[in-house]
Amino acid sequence: MTGSDERIIGEWRFRVEAGKIAEFARALGADLKDPTIAPPTFTVVAAADFVERLVTDILKVDRKRTLHGEQSYEYIAPIRAGMTLACKARILSDQMKSGRQGGRMRVVTVAIDYSDAASGAVLLRETMTTIEKET
Amino acid sequence: MTVRPETPTLCWGPITRTDLVRYAGASGDFNPIHHDVPFARAAGMPDVMAQGMYSAGLVASALERWFGQSCLLSYRVRFRAPVWPGDRLVARCDELEELEGGRAKVKVTFSRGDDELVLAATASLRLSEEVPS
Repeated sequence: MTGSDERIIGEWRFRVEAGKIAEFARALGADLKDPTIAPPTFTVVAAADFVERLVTDILKVDRKRTLHGEQSYEYIAPIRAGMTLACKARILSDQMKSGRQGGRMRVVTVAIDYSDAASGAVLLRETMTTIEKET
Repeated sequence: MTVRPETPTLCWGPITRTDLVRYAGASGDFNPIHHDVPFARAAGMPDVMAQGMYSAGLVASALERWFGQSCLLSYRVRFRAPVWPGDRLVARCDELEELEGGRAKVKVTFSRGDDELVLAATASLRLSEEVPS
């Protein structure tokens, strides 16, 4: 989605370390054939500090009423140990909707693009949808 | 020539709080709802709730076991129900549609026990020219 309502809400860099890839793979019980390539959901590590800021400072949602609805990835090229990622986050949508059981909820979709800082090439595009139920 | 790989059902668990704390440390997700039992109970939950991305990561690892590392072109998960300590989790590849150019679309269900859906995933991927080892 492109348009004037797109808002850049975060830009940061993240260094991909081999030890962090190994720790992440171990936490999932994954056995990586090539341990220098990050597993498919590894960008959660690169985004962790941003997501904390997103929840508490940017969206200001109440964690006790907030759920993770969806997560999606488009893979363009592998993320490898030694790379520095240039990360850019934007809000795709932030809307109030009616739930299936009649209650109202806030549904926010955020996209993060991860590029190789050295070449500028986009490696991975991610979107995440967060749902905050109204009290 | 692509080879249609075997996709045996994969199982995890029973999930422990230690598994969730290890994933919290590895991922950097320190939302207290995933490790702090009094906080989780104050939010009306019976126990700490597993990180959604822990389940998404397990299913992604299943896809790489079935189809090979770096097979994924796209991957989408929808979270359907919370996962709790003590749960046994099962990943099944329910549909595999082969496409032109050695690609495929797959659907994966991730369930508690045999039949309670906790996560539904779709992916498009490259089929390997060799059977993944």
